[in-house]
Formats: sequence, structure tokens, C-alpha cells
Amino acid sequence: MIKRLTSLLPVIIGVLCLTFALLHMVPGDPVDVMLGESASPADRELLKVQLGLDQSLYMQFGQYVSNILKGDFGVSIHTQTPITQLLAQAYPATLILAFTALSIGLLIGIPLGIWSALKAGHWQDVMVTMVSIRLAAMPAFWLGPVLMLVFAVWLGWLPVSGMSSPASIILPAVTLGLGLSAILTRMTRTSLLEVLNEDYIRTARAKGLSERQVLLKHALRAALLPLVTIVGLQMGSLLAGAVITETIFSWNGIGRLLVDSIEKRDYPVTQACVLVIALSYVLINQATDLAYRWLDPRTRGAR
Amino acid sequence: MLLRRVAGYSLLAIALVLSGCQSDTEPRALVFAIAQAPVNLDPRYATDAASERVNHLLYQRLVEFDSASHEVPGLASWQMQDALHYRFQLQRPLAVFHDGKPLTAADVKATYESLLQLKNSPHTAEFKHIKQISTPDSHTIDFELSRPDPHFPARLIIGILPAELITAGHDFGHAPVGSGPFKLNCWDSELELVRLSDGLKVSFNEVKDPNVRVLKLKRGEADLIQGDLPPELVKYLQKQPDITVQTVAGANYSYLGLNVQAEFLRDVRVRRAIAYAIDTQAIIDKVMVSHSRQANAILPPEHYAGNPALQPYSYQPELARQLLQSAGIKLPLTLVYKTSTDPQRVRLATILQAQMQAAGIDLQIKSLDWGTFFADVQKGNFQLSGLTWVGIKTPEIYSKVFGSGSAPPQGFNRGGYRDAELDTLLKNEDWPAVTRRIHEQLPYIPLWYEGQFAAYRSSVEAYQPMPDGNWDGLAKVVFQPSDE
Repeated sequence: MIKRLTSLLPVIIGVLCLTFALLHMVPGDPVDVMLGESASPADRELLKVQLGLDQSLYMQFGQYVSNILKGDFGVSIHTQTPITQLLAQAYPATLILAFTALSIGLLIGIPLGIWSALKAGHWQDVMVTMVSIRLAAMPAFWLGPVLMLVFAVWLGWLPVSGMSSPASIILPAVTLGLGLSAILTRMTRTSLLEVLNEDYIRTARAKGLSERQVLLKHALRAALLPLVTIVGLQMGSLLAGAVITETIFSWNGIGRLLVDSIEKRDYPVTQACVLVIALSYVLINQATDLAYRWLDPRTRGAR
Repeated sequence: MLLRRVAGYSLLAIALVLSGCQSDTEPRALVFAIAQAPVNLDPRYATDAASERVNHLLYQRLVEFDSASHEVPGLASWQMQDALHYRFQLQRPLAVFHDGKPLTAADVKATYESLLQLKNSPHTAEFKHIKQISTPDSHTIDFELSRPDPHFPARLIIGILPAELITAGHDFGHAPVGSGPFKLNCWDSELELVRLSDGLKVSFNEVKDPNVRVLKLKRGEADLIQGDLPPELVKYLQKQPDITVQTVAGANYSYLGLNVQAEFLRDVRVRRAIAYAIDTQAIIDKVMVSHSRQANAILPPEHYAGNPALQPYSYQPELARQLLQSAGIKLPLTLVYKTSTDPQRVRLATILQAQMQAAGIDLQIKSLDWGTFFADVQKGNFQLSGLTWVGIKTPEIYSKVFGSGSAPPQGFNRGGYRDAELDTLLKNEDWPAVTRRIHEQLPYIPLWYEGQFAAYRSSVEAYQPMPDGNWDGLAKVVFQPSDE
């Protein structure tokens, strides 16, 4: 476990270096953004000194890393709010949205995939395939407003957007979850069909096990294994902030915070967001790996 | 069991994330859905439109403007004693801060002195010529300048803060205390103000996507929206029975900025050709909000320095071609037009591209994210760029934008325009001649003043949108929420 965690270190250092370098290469300067064009060169210099932007890039980077080690991400250049506070507001929002969307994806995707596999070749299968391909092809910026129009404006069941009531999460989570469920349906179907053709399934049937037992005890466990990887990857991108969905639904998550900070050239906020997102990604990947080992005894010995 | 536990945690987490100002017992707030939330409510720092608009509700300032943009007394009336001395007298009875203390000359002095000492405020530069501020009595403030400035009163539009809190280092950016018609109620996930006269609460709800703003209004989650919508959505709202749309002529000037240092664009014939290659009226008729009108100068004709005599350039692609050919240009002339990623801006760019094609101009559109785009414009790294001047009140803008000595950071002459004749006219403040000269020489191609509009539900009455898009109408709005 410790070995695993230490292996994260190079990744984190890499992320730190990359975001720092990239942000300083992007055109646009926080001093310009803050002072406007009419500021005198003297004021500009003074502010640069105040923000530490006058120092060499190495110095700035060193300062940045040492602050992070102390748990201090600095303050937003624009609002002067501590970044830790911004993250503490945005990250839980993203987490909740991601887990809800994932649950929706799993609850729809896996049963549909199983059903579709069991009815392979029948009209039910064709129908599920058609629907899931269409769902997978629907972008959030289209699906989101359509769901709003139907469920919020026409039917009046749910709030359009915002975070004012627990029901607010349903539409953004469904927007994300439907796309995810389409992928999971397809994966479950393919994987289960493959497993159902294996010899050991034939053996199980020959032993006289009911179709239900064959499916639940033998086929499903093996078939769902590849899904763990997919779910891990998808969870990673959900935690990276579903930028479009968060923006459309006024969901104050980390994706929205990130995009806002980029537009305003709020370097410290952008860096903190990217770091947190990268960390989540890496941790989710590690968790996926562990889950895989736990589920599949064959991989346990492998290093 | 596990599922139940997960659900329990999720609900708890949601409850933590969802925090607002609303309590169940009080009447609900008027919800105003806006495209961009204010960033900083300290008037000494605020530059974004949303913060400035909210600040005008929270704070009062020494000087205001009438409908022709003349400076008129706000908190104070004034006299110019000589070129370097201005005396301001606070109106009686004295205004009162939200914390109950009277607003006196000492507060005015403290506000401007603290502004001068700030190292990271975009407004400080404008007041660098204040040599000394003195207060002979609690109603009188004397400003002594280091150089003559006939437009000095028009600059004094910074909200006045309480001196005591300034000394204490109060965070006005997040906990504003002013003397305006509204005071801060709370600012968690959303900003909520309360009107002092009757306790009406207004909640500013940031909704970036224009479609979603419209849907929220339609659903009743928002009571009021203003501006920042593509015209087809405005037209949609106009057809809705439960929604009122009010439009008013705008005063914010949209233009094509030309970099006159760029090849070809140095030649005034080419600049005129571009003006003749744009069918502004057709764009206004087809894809803009009603009450939009053709522009000829930065300040609209009703402004005291406006020039109603100027005639717009009409769409004459053939004439444009001839002008380009007479300038020795082999057609098609390729020009690069930089703009932001705003969908309406990009759409207008494609229309300009199609119109200019008939005049032999191949307009290449580069749509850049705001930070990159604006940095390019400031550095003069563009041929053509599309922008809008918002909330301009004083004719000083002409020298800041077109004066030879106004290259950034001295001013906003981003296109490197130099014209000795115009400099003389600017010096004499001969505004009709200045605007005429600019109209002939075209360092900017004027486009339009976009119409302003507000849309609101039947629960809202007497809201008036303003020509520059500010939110002052909230001071008088009537709100009667129905039991929905």
C-alpha cells in the first residue's frame, strides 16, 4: 500500500510542473487583468512584487510547492478568497454530483445490459442497442436543456437549475448518468455475451443449475469485471468536473471553478483545481486497481 | 442496508452543499438571474460590470449623471474654485450608512485617500493628480489637484465608504457597508440584498447559460432577467403570455477596432471600404434585440457631446471594391478578425464575413477565449477586433481612445492611431468636430448601440431597464410573489 502511495509522488510532481509551466505560457497576465490597461508601469511593477510575479519562475515554483506542502493554496487573485475555502465549497458539490450520476448510470446500465445480452438477437436487444447508442451520442449541452424543458418547465416536477433544494441534483445527475448508462449497457452486454459462451457456463448448465443460478453465480461475476475499469475511468472524468453540465445547471462544482479561473487568469485557483483533479484521477485509478485485485483472484499475485 | 447508509450520507452531504440565505418564514426574495455574478463589492476595486451594477445599489457617490450624461450632484454639489481646486458640499440632510452612522466629509476624504494608497486597484491611476484632500467642516470637502482637470467631478463616482471601517481594514469586497438604497443581507452561494425602504429582498442568481436563464424565468425560478440574451430568445419571451419584456434604446457602443499600424489598414480608403462593406442596418433588423440602433460615434446622439448630424455608412459593396482597388489592393483582401467565444459575437462575425465577401474582403474569423483575446487586443496584436464600450459617460473617452499619446498604458489607443489634426480638436474639446473627424478617418468602424431589455414575470412590476444596462431599476421595482 505504501509502495503504491509513493508511486503517486512522481505523478503529482509532474502535474505541479506541467500546470505551472503551461499557465505561465498562456497569453494574458493577471496584473493586466487586475489593474486594467491604464495603470502606470510603476504600479504594475509594485503589484507584481506583491504577488511574487517579479521573481524568477524557479523561485515562484519553489514558493508555490512549499506553500502547498503547508496546505496553503493561497488566495484567489480576483476575489481575495482563500483557495482552500473555494475548493471546500466546490469539491463536495462535484463529489455528490459524480456519485449520484454514477449510481444512475450503474442502476440503468447494468440491468439493461444484462437484459439485452439475455435477449441477444431479439427485438428487445435491438431496441436497447438503438436507445443506448443514441443516448451515448447525446451531448450534455443538448440533453441538459431538453431535460430542463420537459421535466422543469412543461411538467413542473423539478427545478431548472441551481442548488437550492435536494431535488436540484436530479437533472444534472441524470444528464451525466444517462450517457454513462449507455456505455455501461453496451459494455455489460458484450462482456456477458462473451462469458455466456465460455465452457464453464456450459458445464454449470450441464450440472443442472437453473438459468438464474448460472447467470447470478457464474456468469455475472466474470462479466462485470471489465466494467470496473470503465467505471473507474468514468468516475475519474466525473470528478474532473463535468464542466458543461455544471455550467448549464449552475452547479458550483470544481469544473465550473476551473473554467472560471482560466477565463480570469486567476493562476492560483487554476493550479489548485488542476492539482485536486489530477489527485482524484490518480486515486480513483489506484482504487480501481485494488478493486480489480479483490474481485479477480487471478490478478492478486501479479505485481 | 448499505444502500440506505449511502443514501443517508448523500443527503447529508447535499444539505451541506446546499446553503442559501432563504428562510422559510419570511416572504421570498425577488430572484434576479444574471449571467455573471459580481466578483468584488469593494468599489475601490470593482471593475466587472456585475460588481459595478450591484455597487451602485449598495453605495452612494458624490456625482451622478442625468439622461444627457451631464454630471449632476449625487451626495454632493460642487464648485470649481480655480483650475486646481474643487469644493464639494454634502447635501443635507446627511446620508446615513447601513450601520446607522451619518456619512460625513471625513468618510469622503478617507475613501479617496485610501484609494490613492492602494497598490492593486485598477482605479487608483485615475486619481493620481489629487494632491490633497481637506475637510474644512463635516459637510465640505476640498480637492486640490496637481494639474488642471476640467472633467474632475465626473471621475468622482467611487462609492463612499465609512472612514472608521476603512481604518479597521474592513473587507468591503465581501461585506459591503454603504449608504445606498440596498444593503447586504447575505452572500453564501448567492448574493442577497435587502431594500432599506421596505425590506424587499433581491437574490442575484448566477446562471451562465442564456437558455437556462430563460427556462428559469419561464418556470418561475427566476422573476427577472436582463440583457445578455440572443435575440431569438428575446423574441421567444415576447410571445409568452406570463412574461413581460421591456426594451429601451441602449447606449453601449459596439464597434470594429482597427489596428491602423497593420498593413493595408493604414490607408483610410481601406478603412472606408470596410465600413461600406458592412450592412449594419440589416444585422440590426435581423439578428439584434429591438431598440438597437446604428451608431456613428462612441457617445450616442442624445449625449451632450453626441453628434446627431453624422450619417451612417451605408452598405455599398461595389463602392467598397472600388475603394480597395484604388488603394492598389489585389482582391480578395484577406483580413483577420479576432473576437471572443461568445456565441452571439461569433454569429455576428460570420455575418460580417458573408457581407464583406461581396466587397472582395476575405474575413478570417479567429474566436479566442476571453483572456487570450483581450490580451491580444491590449497588445495591439490584431487587425480587426470586435468589442463594446460599456457605461461611458464623458467625452474624455475620445482622447483616451484616439489621442496620439494614449497608447496603453496611458490610454486605450490599442490600434496605434495617430492624427495630429484630431489631437488639436481634442485639445480644444470641440466635440462636433472631433466626432466628425473620427467618422471620416475611421480608426473604429461604428456598428450599433444594442437595445437593452428586461424580461420579468407577472409578480414583478415597474421595473425599468436602463440604457447602459445597469440595475438601478431595482430601487423602484414592485414585487408581489403569488403563492406558487
